[in-house]
Amino acid sequence: MKRWLSHLTIIVYLAALSWGICSHTLRVGTGAHPVMYFLVWDMFCGWSAWNTKSHIIGEGASGKFYELAPPPWGELHPFGSLDRHDYDPSSIFSARLAVNCLKHTDHEPIVRVFVVEENWPKKFNLSDDLWALRYGGPKDIQRYYRVRHVLTGDGQLMQTYATWLEYQASVCVANNPRLRAETRKGAPLFALGAQQSHVNPYSAGPRFGFAPASPLPASGPTGRAHGN
Amino acid sequence: MRPAADRPTPDTLPDRLRRFFYADEVPYGLALVRLLMPLVLLYPMLPRWMHCREYYSTDGANTPLWIQYGYAHMLPEVSGSVAVALYTLMLLCLVTSAAGFLTRVSLVGAFVLYTYFNLLDSVGTMTKYSVIASHVLLLLSLSQCGSVWSLDAWLSGRWRRRRAWPGEAPVEWPRSPAWPRRLMQLLLGFVYFGAAVTKMHTPAFFSGDQMRYWTIANINFKNPLGEYVSLYPSAIVAACYVALVWEVLFLFLAWQGLGRRLMLTLGVMFHVGTFLTLGLRVFPMLSMVIYFAFLNEADVRSWAAFFRRRLRRWGLRPAWPKQSAAISDMLRLPRPAVFGLLALLAMFLGPALEHRLDPYGERRPEGPYALREMDPARALTMLAPSRPIRVEDKIFSFDVGTLTVGGNLARRKSEFRTGESLIVEIMMSPPYEDMWVECILADDDNRRVDGIGQSVVTREMARGHFCYTVPPSLDPGRYWLVLSCAGKEVDRRPITVSSARRQAPLAN
Repeated sequence: MKRWLSHLTIIVYLAALSWGICSHTLRVGTGAHPVMYFLVWDMFCGWSAWNTKSHIIGEGASGKFYELAPPPWGELHPFGSLDRHDYDPSSIFSARLAVNCLKHTDHEPIVRVFVVEENWPKKFNLSDDLWALRYGGPKDIQRYYRVRHVLTGDGQLMQTYATWLEYQASVCVANNPRLRAETRKGAPLFALGAQQSHVNPYSAGPRFGFAPASPLPASGPTGRAHGN
Repeated sequence: MRPAADRPTPDTLPDRLRRFFYADEVPYGLALVRLLMPLVLLYPMLPRWMHCREYYSTDGANTPLWIQYGYAHMLPEVSGSVAVALYTLMLLCLVTSAAGFLTRVSLVGAFVLYTYFNLLDSVGTMTKYSVIASHVLLLLSLSQCGSVWSLDAWLSGRWRRRRAWPGEAPVEWPRSPAWPRRLMQLLLGFVYFGAAVTKMHTPAFFSGDQMRYWTIANINFKNPLGEYVSLYPSAIVAACYVALVWEVLFLFLAWQGLGRRLMLTLGVMFHVGTFLTLGLRVFPMLSMVIYFAFLNEADVRSWAAFFRRRLRRWGLRPAWPKQSAAISDMLRLPRPAVFGLLALLAMFLGPALEHRLDPYGERRPEGPYALREMDPARALTMLAPSRPIRVEDKIFSFDVGTLTVGGNLARRKSEFRTGESLIVEIMMSPPYEDMWVECILADDDNRRVDGIGQSVVTREMARGHFCYTVPPSLDPGRYWLVLSCAGKEVDRRPITVSSARRQAPLAN
């Protein structure tokens, strides 16, 4: 009986590991279930040339802005020098983090919460001496911001936007008069579905937010300009 | 010719599999993994105790992994005090696992609670190293790793017989089938193989670009050596290929003889390299601890003999602690009762201490914390529409040299002779649109002397190269390589041109 149980354990365990490798290699069902996270070994997920940080900002009824992350009671840097909320690149949990901070602090009524992404070229991360050795001259860092989500004061999602990198990639694709003209010709009169905005860089959908040829107004989350 | 009956029967596949998985052995390797793995896990988990209400409970901002997979409620989410109690119990289980006290129960508890808490915080706790740790804790809990070098073994009196150095007969350590150790070895092989597949899916890995970006990222701990290595992209490309080949071969070669030594040595170098250049800490420690699963009995005996000789040479005699009267009294207590008592104590004291420490600061005399106000100008800058990317930010580097390796400029140089060829490299920072780039040679007064090259760098190219031969007619002196995009100067590099060396006459 014990031997059969060990046979079964070995077979099931190796089958699970093998399924993880097959699934990962052939890209089948890798996101089907959380268990797949335990079987797919995708440790090298790709690294861009840009450094990203995120900010969670609360806007009070008085018009003042408050920093909601890291929380005022202190934060652990879980894997290095960044705060916990910086390891949520898709900002899936920003609402929870914001609401928890608001729940345990003293503050005026908060009317809106913004989740903002901050980006800068990674080359500026080099230490000053290596920078001087490699590039010479002073570091002239330009930081690029983009609002990812707008939430109500109690954490309800109102607007969501693509990441800064996705947005910039869509801008690169959209910067093409021929493609722009063809897209304009091919654009349906009526919206076909929510997924349309993911494939059409000219759509007014908030996923891309770049709408040079869009028949619909596309505004930034603060309502002031096109293409946040 | 030997009669057929005397000939050894050839090994069949089932025989080999049986020997591979079910050979009886003293689980020295797994005992070492059991001793060290919980200590490695305590390094990241202990500091999180103070934040466990915030990270893992409904009284905080837990970030369950299952939500990312589209499952709303896969496992129960517990209240703050329960989370603190269970987290403290997990820490106790890790300690008792390392000590080998009620080993199997401790390991099962550590496996269940460690996995649960990792699942509850996909942002600040769970990583691939914690997944590997969960696998290892599961496999250890299925093994007999507590029968060697553990409190359990000591309390049951095994160490009282004789000195217990491996190899010193007649200590009879219990033997058990090898399959948990084999599964742990296979796990590591699968992990490396899967990591190799990921790299195969990522073309930018082979140009070294992504590793270069990683070495200068600040997402992990400080890695000053990584920043330095990023200056040598060709070395990174070479290391990428070595790492990939090693990751693929590990599963097939890491079993015996030269292959095992080579794979494990490369593995240690790889993980130390990730610590030094990428700022990883727990992952390298954890992986190298699992390497102890590759030790067999003979290895441990020879190591033990080596250390015994060393100790004798230094005049030291290892002596295991003898059981005192107090220990003898303790032996009479049933271990499950002691463990249960410790667990209850931990689950009571943990929340009590956490309540006293008041992690949210809500019971401070001055009341809860106030929100930090932001500079309104800064906030409005953040909320304004994104600015277009500056052209200079689309260029990662602009270099000149004479040799490329793996598509990267390997030898940077700034002094050239007339007639010598130079290579100008422009490395881009994606994303960028198709760009018109031009490089010219200018003198100190910024007058154009010659064109080096002009081209469209398309968005998938990542880098562009111009080759140029310094004309013999060029006067020696200092010049500038000037890079322009869409008519705007982006960067410039100085070079010095000297006359070509005259050939000495071979003979009169």
